[in-house]
Amino acid sequence: MTAPVSERGPAPVQPIVPTVDEAPGLSPVPWSHRHLLDVDILTWDEIELVLRTADAMREVLARPIPRVPALRGRSVTILFYEASTRTRVSFEVAAKNLSADVVNISSASSSVAKGESLVDTVRTVEALGADMLVLRHPVSGAPHLAAEVFGGSVLNGGDGWHAHPTQALLDLYTMRQRLGSLAGRKVVILGDVLHSRVARSNVWSLTAAGADLWLCGPAPLLRGFGAWGPAAGFTVTTSIDEALHDADAVMALRIQRERMAAGLLPSLREYAARYGLTRERLALARPDALVLHPGPMNEGVEIAADVAAGAQSAITEQVRNGVAIRMALLYLLAGVTR
Amino acid sequence: MTAEPLAAYAVVGEVLADLEISAAWLVDPMSGREGAADIVVRAGIVETVTWLDGDDTGAAGQGGIIVAPGFIDLHAHFREPGNEDAETIASGSAAAAHGGFTTVCLMPNTTPPLDEPGVLARVQAAATASGSPVRVLAYGCVSAGRAGEQLAAIGELADAGVVGFSDDGSPTRSAAVLRSALEYAGALGLPIVEHTEDLAMTEGAEANEGLVATMLGLRGWPASAEASAVGRALAILAEVVREVPGPRLHLTHLSTRSALELVRRARATGLPVTCDVTPHHLALTDAWIAGSRSWAWEDGDERAAAPFDASLRVNPPLRTPDDAAACLEALLDGTACAIATDHAPHTSVDKHVEFGQAVNGISGIETALGVVLAAVDAGRLPLRRAIEALTTGPAGVLGARLGRAVGIVEGETAELVVFDRADRWTVSSEALASKGKNSPLIGRELPGRVLVTVAQGRVAYLAE
Amino acid sequence: MTADEIRRATVRISHEIVEKQAGTKGLALVGIQRRGVPLARRVAEAIREHEAVDLPVGALDITFYRDDLSVIAQQPVVKGTDLPFDLNGRTIVLVDDVLYTGRTIRAAMDALVDFGRPQAIRLAVLVDRGHRELPIRADHVGKNVPTSREEVVRVHLAEIDGEDGVEIERAATESTLAGRAG
Repeated sequence: MTAPVSERGPAPVQPIVPTVDEAPGLSPVPWSHRHLLDVDILTWDEIELVLRTADAMREVLARPIPRVPALRGRSVTILFYEASTRTRVSFEVAAKNLSADVVNISSASSSVAKGESLVDTVRTVEALGADMLVLRHPVSGAPHLAAEVFGGSVLNGGDGWHAHPTQALLDLYTMRQRLGSLAGRKVVILGDVLHSRVARSNVWSLTAAGADLWLCGPAPLLRGFGAWGPAAGFTVTTSIDEALHDADAVMALRIQRERMAAGLLPSLREYAARYGLTRERLALARPDALVLHPGPMNEGVEIAADVAAGAQSAITEQVRNGVAIRMALLYLLAGVTR
Repeated sequence: MTAEPLAAYAVVGEVLADLEISAAWLVDPMSGREGAADIVVRAGIVETVTWLDGDDTGAAGQGGIIVAPGFIDLHAHFREPGNEDAETIASGSAAAAHGGFTTVCLMPNTTPPLDEPGVLARVQAAATASGSPVRVLAYGCVSAGRAGEQLAAIGELADAGVVGFSDDGSPTRSAAVLRSALEYAGALGLPIVEHTEDLAMTEGAEANEGLVATMLGLRGWPASAEASAVGRALAILAEVVREVPGPRLHLTHLSTRSALELVRRARATGLPVTCDVTPHHLALTDAWIAGSRSWAWEDGDERAAAPFDASLRVNPPLRTPDDAAACLEALLDGTACAIATDHAPHTSVDKHVEFGQAVNGISGIETALGVVLAAVDAGRLPLRRAIEALTTGPAGVLGARLGRAVGIVEGETAELVVFDRADRWTVSSEALASKGKNSPLIGRELPGRVLVTVAQGRVAYLAE
Repeated sequence: MTADEIRRATVRISHEIVEKQAGTKGLALVGIQRRGVPLARRVAEAIREHEAVDLPVGALDITFYRDDLSVIAQQPVVKGTDLPFDLNGRTIVLVDDVLYTGRTIRAAMDALVDFGRPQAIRLAVLVDRGHRELPIRADHVGKNVPTSREEVVRVHLAEIDGEDGVEIERAATESTLAGRAG
């Protein structure tokens, strides 16, 4: 049997079967979180539990019928206040693979557009039978408000600039698959860090994993992180050469047009020229360095098309792993819900 | 040494007070005296004040019943007219009395704003109709409609009885208008109370720019937005002073070390500027948004409560522990002459929403004493200084418009608060008389329970 | 049961399985996590010794098929499934250490049919402790051990616990009962 993702060196990607010969004495890690709103509340043992459970979910996904009845009879409502196809569908697929009933609400089609408050919407969703709520919202802290009024479990699908816990966990999972242990490995997050919930959540998970984390981008988009770096143990730099040098993994973040309008960046062209992840820049990193992107990508801006499609890119694995991680989290949270 | 139970025979609001208080700790900043005393009030007049010499040690002042002049709040919002769902003059007065305040100065950002005497008349009528003896005073707007373009009817408002002028809610938008207002109001002997905020720097801002905002993904509110506005106001004042004999500038709810330092230096050169700090700025920090519930001077648990509590969203935002310490330092060295609550009640419709969508404001007039006593108990502020900041300090800003002396003097109408410093109470929606339940202290136990509040000789609040 | 008793029971079961099938054709063993897995391997080993045939052995984790999620305070630990052969048309012998309420076996059958369509499913258990809640019976039983509901049957296997043995304990806590159910 192949060993689990934990302590191995780089290996080719294959549909890994989780171990069936568990070492004696491995004690179960209790999971007591009713909600998952951020990554920083998880202990490292809990993160490992999520990753191991995701291993089992990947085995389920590899079956002819990728379905288990673990959440049969549970109702999952996916409530997205921000347009997002990939994450919303990823959650829906995850919930359905666990045999849950899924209700998918995107804000454009719902009463939210008519100005119903979040609190009222959550209460309505609960009255309609939802056991679990997956929420994506443009305002930081919205899932915490939802968790206050919702009787079941809330899973944060991304809130404002604050957190995107499922993304950070799937990023961690993907990196560990390819690189093994991340302790001491140089991981670079590149781009619009200031506005990125992906960056913030990855800061927590990667520092917990012991990675040598670097954040890099133009100065206005790193605002505030220079003070956080020393406290949390990551490095902040505006020099892309310094950041990429000998890196084991590079995560490129999406750059948005709104940043120009807000006076934070001169132009997308300038950003691409100075910070775009091209083949030449990637060559500064280690030869087998991993390339990641939370999506959707602006090819030609923060990431070159050939890099996104190249051999070092783990972007499609991120998407596949996203379903497994979300299945794992829905499963773990369901054990705590009424 | 415990004080004997006090006897009060009056129904709240209507009848003149009759009190006999034995061996309480009397703090009278006007006379500068503090010590054990017997106080007798008959028919609303202070009949006798008998200092009990021989027990002047700090022992009695450490716990037990304390009597002080009724507190004066330089800055509160009672939302009437225009937003009576959030608060009315009646409910606000009840809240004030519960907090030990006998005089409240209301900000003019009502709907319609208090920029002409007719609106002041409505406010005064509502105060009379409430039946509460708490004295409700009001500021007029600096600019018409608070739009910052033209002066409001300053002279007419002064004649009608406002105690000063402010565009609070906002800074005075135009520097030129601020300058004219300082000149005009100065000639009338009234202060301009300025909310110091550089709006261009705070657009969309949610929380103090700093580590907490960075970690929580909240848009930052830089400290420099306050310092730059303070600098602007002081520079204008410095010029006005050369031309007009009596301009007075009072900067309200200062929250940053840098701004307070500017005021300190300006005062050292003799500029006629005063300032106040709020209880929440001297005791709470931005860490509370991340879930901390430790006072600013304590080290504590990072996440004692759920993060993103919208009752913590306030203008100016809660700042760092160092800024809170600067607020206390300012009180200690006299840079800040007053503690003002900036009582800002809101409905749950406006507050029980996502952090970034919530309106700014903390309902704080009833918890002010408790928060201040927490600082006193922690040794951060002497009791006498705290009482000064709640009584003679604000009275100094109001000057003659207050209309009376601030003290407990034989023969004068009684205007006092009696509270038990050793007792504690738990803040809850039910316990708050204000309609505004937007307090981050709900669920928390605070020191100091108000027993009686007497305003204009009548009982304004009586504890059960 | 002692280690010797376990060994003899395992050998007997292995003979019974072959006997019932009138040979080894089409057979496959699937151990139910956790202790059914080493047991299944032991049975396969015994069959290899007396039939000189290597039967396919798989491992099945029924964690995701349990119907008692609301009873458990936390999600049980996932242990892993590996079925490296085609189930279609085969006779699958499920192997588990203890047969109790029958819910684990029901869950195992639910899981198996997601992988394919076996021709038949049989059940071999080391210990049958009674108290069935579902109409399920074992084809091959190592030992019948009547128990009361307050008791807990603990099976130890060298591959997991370092030594072989079966013990009965009294006064289980509720969580232990739930953990041992089925």
